[in-house]
Amino acid sequence: MKAMAEIIDTILRSIMVSGVATLMASLWSIPLAYLFVFRNRGSVFIEAVIETLVGIPTVLLGLLLYILFSSSGLLGFLGLLYTPQAIIIGESILVTPLIISISYRSIRGIAHLYYEFALSIGANRVQRMRLIVSQSLPGVVAACITGFSRAIGELGIAMMIGGNIKGYTRVMTTAIALEVAKGNFEEAIILGIVLLLITIAISIAIKLISRVYVA
Amino acid sequence: MNIELINVWYRYSKSKDWALKEISITFRSSEIVYIDGHNGSGKTTLLKIASLMYRPTKGFITINNKNFWSLNEEKKTLFRRRVVYVHEKPILLRGTVLDNILYGLRIRGIDIEEALDISLNILSMFGIDDLINKPIQKLSTGQAQLVAIARALAVKPDILFLDEPFSNLDKEKRKAVINILNEFQTKGMGIVFSSHNIDIDGLSRYRRIVLENGVIASIYE
Repeated sequence: MKAMAEIIDTILRSIMVSGVATLMASLWSIPLAYLFVFRNRGSVFIEAVIETLVGIPTVLLGLLLYILFSSSGLLGFLGLLYTPQAIIIGESILVTPLIISISYRSIRGIAHLYYEFALSIGANRVQRMRLIVSQSLPGVVAACITGFSRAIGELGIAMMIGGNIKGYTRVMTTAIALEVAKGNFEEAIILGIVLLLITIAISIAIKLISRVYVA
Repeated sequence: MNIELINVWYRYSKSKDWALKEISITFRSSEIVYIDGHNGSGKTTLLKIASLMYRPTKGFITINNKNFWSLNEEKKTLFRRRVVYVHEKPILLRGTVLDNILYGLRIRGIDIEEALDISLNILSMFGIDDLINKPIQKLSTGQAQLVAIARALAVKPDILFLDEPFSNLDKEKRKAVINILNEFQTKGMGIVFSSHNIDIDGLSRYRRIVLENGVIASIYE
């Protein structure tokens, strides 16, 4: 019973930490994606940089943040190391390039089409932008879902700057890693299945929401 | 309303070739013009320039003797609201048929009740009022084309530009659309459409412009 309560606690914490991280990342990533599309300058350079950052190893990012948050680091005075806030910051940084990249591609794919349509029917500048935003929303939502999936399945950052502290910074991925190391495969498998189900359920729910959305 | 193209040349940004060369022509309200020409002859480009979407690389566009591209954004929008262009492949917004018809009306500030009346009337004219609440993903290509044309007519432009409007329609639907267009023309709307190899009765009544390799090869009044 106690073990089950612990598993549920870990699951809820994972969802909260990854959800907040994705939300934070979305706050700056989505406007940036629109800005890159609308400015339409240096797109090759922007794409190259963002795609490089999408593939950044989480362990490397975890290491950089560890150095930054450690007591002798630049941001050591904030006392963030081994806190859920540190994982949130780390994951939000991790998923930023991913959300920008997917949003940027989906917006760019339809922006020209709907821009032309809006122009052809007499929309003013603001109405044109609004139309592009509303029509590209499902793509942007999909980008956020992907970001959340990446965040919730991330291990390196959660382990290095979260510390896997029981009841405080332990999330599903770090718990799985720990249980496997201890030889408790049963708990690790339960958590693994839950992780998979959460990702699938959220994807389905948000896709359904975006399908019924009316421009 | 008169839209005059004066020695218009157009080249796409990544192309070395001119898509249009030395085009001088006037489109007016109350007339139907048929633009003929093979694929790649410049029909779509001409329509997009004349409907104030593309800025010519060289030359001028004047509307009622005003140089359109030298106007400020607000005035440009006012003129653009009097001209509508319908793409060859219909571009529909997510939502229902009604959402699409309402869009052009709502951005012009028409209140919802009047916009609904107009939408219902126009859909009835096209005989597609039963599709009013149908999601656009469930429309056939022909139905989508009719919705796009109906949406453009709903805002009653001074001049309507239609790019290959009959390409997805069967002969019966083509005839119905031509009749509707004729009806709007008698009420003062100018209609310019492009097409090639089409079989429509009474086509010879319209002014016909033939494009070849981006230049006007001939005009039949």
